[in-house]
Amino acid sequence: MASIRQFLRRLLGKEDVRAISRRYFISNGFDGTLTSIGIIVGAVLSGVPDGYTVIKIGLGAAVGLGTSAVWSVWEIERAETRAEIRRTERAMLKDLDDTRVQRDQSGARFVHAIMSGLGPLIGVLIPLTPFVVEGTVVTMAEAALIAVGLGIGVLGAFGAYMGSISGQRWYVAAARMGLAGLVVAILNLFLPG
Amino acid sequence: MAAVRRLVIDVLKPHDPPLLTFTNQLADIESVEGVTSSLIELDQEVQNVKLTFESEDLDFEAIEETIDNLGGSVHSVDQVACGDSIVRDRRTLQDA
Repeated sequence: MASIRQFLRRLLGKEDVRAISRRYFISNGFDGTLTSIGIIVGAVLSGVPDGYTVIKIGLGAAVGLGTSAVWSVWEIERAETRAEIRRTERAMLKDLDDTRVQRDQSGARFVHAIMSGLGPLIGVLIPLTPFVVEGTVVTMAEAALIAVGLGIGVLGAFGAYMGSISGQRWYVAAARMGLAGLVVAILNLFLPG
Repeated sequence: MAAVRRLVIDVLKPHDPPLLTFTNQLADIESVEGVTSSLIELDQEVQNVKLTFESEDLDFEAIEETIDNLGGSVHSVDQVACGDSIVRDRRTLQDA
């Protein structure tokens, strides 16, 4: 157990592992949040009668996007790391199977896949939370408004985080990302039907 | 068999793990008291390093296994000092 912790600490101590995980997390989280806003606005405007149904639709999207994020990154990273190891093996004239190099690459792939899947889960699930109390505390329209607000907030948090690590003004980066949520919500309002 | 007190080897390793981590891991081997690593050549994918080990009795197999596990490979054994004390290499007329 201690060695697994040590292994993970070593992996997460590597800047390249953190940077790639961060990209997958934010990129797929962005997708998830915008999908969630789209589903919520679309569902409410289409006359879905209760919050429970919106949650069920949203959970379907979360499962789909989460699986896609984990699966695609797992396969992408598998190919990329294999290619990298093969380049090193050619230079070393040596098989690197079962060495620390290969173990670190596999561990990094696992971390990337998990972070990639976590992004859309957070992005989809947080905006859905107002629908849990729909019918008791808020109406469908109010829940949708709060959900869009939460979605914009999640996008803003992603933006603020990216802004803070890149030395930009965090509130400008947050506003830029949050704007995407607002654009999706408005575009959905004007969709036919 | 006489104890191996100093060992100088030439190793080819990938860039990862970095030289600091690589040397640290080698210093953790039980039979190793101290190790110095020097970068000889830097390539796009690999590094060529010289490793100098000193101890009361070095275990070459353990050293080679650790290097292997870290992704490196021993190219050549360049210097070995065995016995009760380390004998300094003396210059001879032929070296001039």
